[in-house]
Amino acid sequence: MGSSKVVSLSEAVASVADGANITFGGFAAYFTPLAFVREMIRRGKRGIEMTSVAECWVADYLAGAGVLKRARFSNFMFEGLGRCQNFVRAVERGEIEVEDYSHFAITSRLVAAGFGLPFMPVKSMAGTDLMGRRGFEAEKARPLACPFTGEPVLLVPAVRPDVAVIHLARSDRDGNSQLFGYTAVVEEQARAAQRVIVTTEEVVEDTVIRAQPELTVLPGFLVDAVVEVPFGAHPTGMYRYYDPDFEFMRDYYAASRDPAAFRAHLEEWVLGPGDHWAYLRKVGLRRLLALRSDPGLGIARMHARTVT
Amino acid sequence: MSTNKRKGAANGVTRQEIMAVAAAREIRNSEVAFIGTGLPMVAAYLAKATHAPDAVLVFESGIVGAKPKELATGVGDLRLLVGCVKSTGLYYALSLLQGGFVDIGFLGAAEVDQYGNLNSTAIGDYRRPTVRLPGSGGANDIGSLARRLVIMVPHERRRLVPRVQYLTTPGFLDGPGARERAGLRGEGPTRVITDLAVLDFDPASKRMRLATVHPGVTVEEVEARTGFPLLRAPRVGETPLPSAGEVRLLRERIDPEGIYIGGKG
Repeated sequence: MGSSKVVSLSEAVASVADGANITFGGFAAYFTPLAFVREMIRRGKRGIEMTSVAECWVADYLAGAGVLKRARFSNFMFEGLGRCQNFVRAVERGEIEVEDYSHFAITSRLVAAGFGLPFMPVKSMAGTDLMGRRGFEAEKARPLACPFTGEPVLLVPAVRPDVAVIHLARSDRDGNSQLFGYTAVVEEQARAAQRVIVTTEEVVEDTVIRAQPELTVLPGFLVDAVVEVPFGAHPTGMYRYYDPDFEFMRDYYAASRDPAAFRAHLEEWVLGPGDHWAYLRKVGLRRLLALRSDPGLGIARMHARTVT
Repeated sequence: MSTNKRKGAANGVTRQEIMAVAAAREIRNSEVAFIGTGLPMVAAYLAKATHAPDAVLVFESGIVGAKPKELATGVGDLRLLVGCVKSTGLYYALSLLQGGFVDIGFLGAAEVDQYGNLNSTAIGDYRRPTVRLPGSGGANDIGSLARRLVIMVPHERRRLVPRVQYLTTPGFLDGPGARERAGLRGEGPTRVITDLAVLDFDPASKRMRLATVHPGVTVEEVEARTGFPLLRAPRVGETPLPSAGEVRLLRERIDPEGIYIGGKG
């Protein structure tokens, strides 16, 4: 075992440069590294570029705090709530540049980087404005006839983000990291990025990892730093740990409709509490415990009326 | 259960219920269906509870073979994970589309044109839009690669437009042969289900045509609320009303709060 990769949240965030191209883990309202994002906002990061699939909470927080400069992505939407208000407002004002892809195509760009290939062929996006209309990329996609069969394919170039920031369930000090449930894009994101920061619900002994190796999504050699942040995805949920805090999300969404109200929300929930522990104290023990997963079901009992 | 606010169609059945039932009937038993949030999810649950118990539901988050018992808030909802047959990643789930394993997908959009092309990206200039929409997500992949695509939208002139302002998801692009030239797979869109009618596409011109109107809706009303000249099928019939059993399943089991099927306004 090498030396411990465990660092503090503030150290990890300080290691990310302004202007960095970051790919964040998570999916929709789940396992999103929001403790990290809140710390980025506290530290006044600027000019961040996202290489993204559907990490709507990251995009909207960073857009609302003025941290996000551009995004290549496929979909930002708060399902059940609506469009990401901070993000779309900034795009409509011309403050954030965008480049649109389909889920499969942007993921394929990450796969190409992780596989050590200059591009990947895909069979979607062809014939549409996703292929033909550019945002900020010099070149987005190129049609090609397969050299073997002549079949038309579309090539999308590899994208190698500076950093991947991924929130997972548990990690050991070497960075071997596990996740329960679906994995969205985290394996592709980690292999594409030049540096990988894992924030984790809990740091465990490596014997815990080795007892269930099938849960490992990132072997430690891919991971550069590990940060222990319990409830680090709040208000998004973490399968087998806690459910999304839908009440918090509704309050956030209401505030995000108006820039001044959102500044107040950021002041109250991000800038006011000086660190992650102060944030959790503010959310409160009663609320956090109510979100906790039932050990048998993997989700919170309050959201499990008819599942069993 | 309050029914006094249910409106819009015969026998107190809502038009959303007619849409959900029409969509459910598109899923055949044992098919693999790629499902999003909203009415398509309601339709998929209904199909599984009725004629298609062995349909396999795939969600882009990486959830395969879900057997959900209550409506999820989104395609990543942990309640879809409980009891599914495979939990994997997005790349795997979308590779199923490209690999040709997915029979049917469902999509909504802000704009649909007469060739069944969809816009879910932007209204106005792409780089400086009037309205920035959520973006493709898996929509383009589904429209490019699923064997059949079913489109579900409210029937409005501003939504059924001659030409989409941004072509996010391919229908038949600019007409016959265009999908083949672009290398796309699948038959393309086969149905458009709205709150007024069910439409399909003329086999020769690939242009949208009226197939059936919902009970209580006239052909003229549908044409007036369509932003392009609508073809008519040789015989325009009436969309079948949901059965009492289907309505009961929708209201009591699948969407008891009326989130997507309406009626609880």
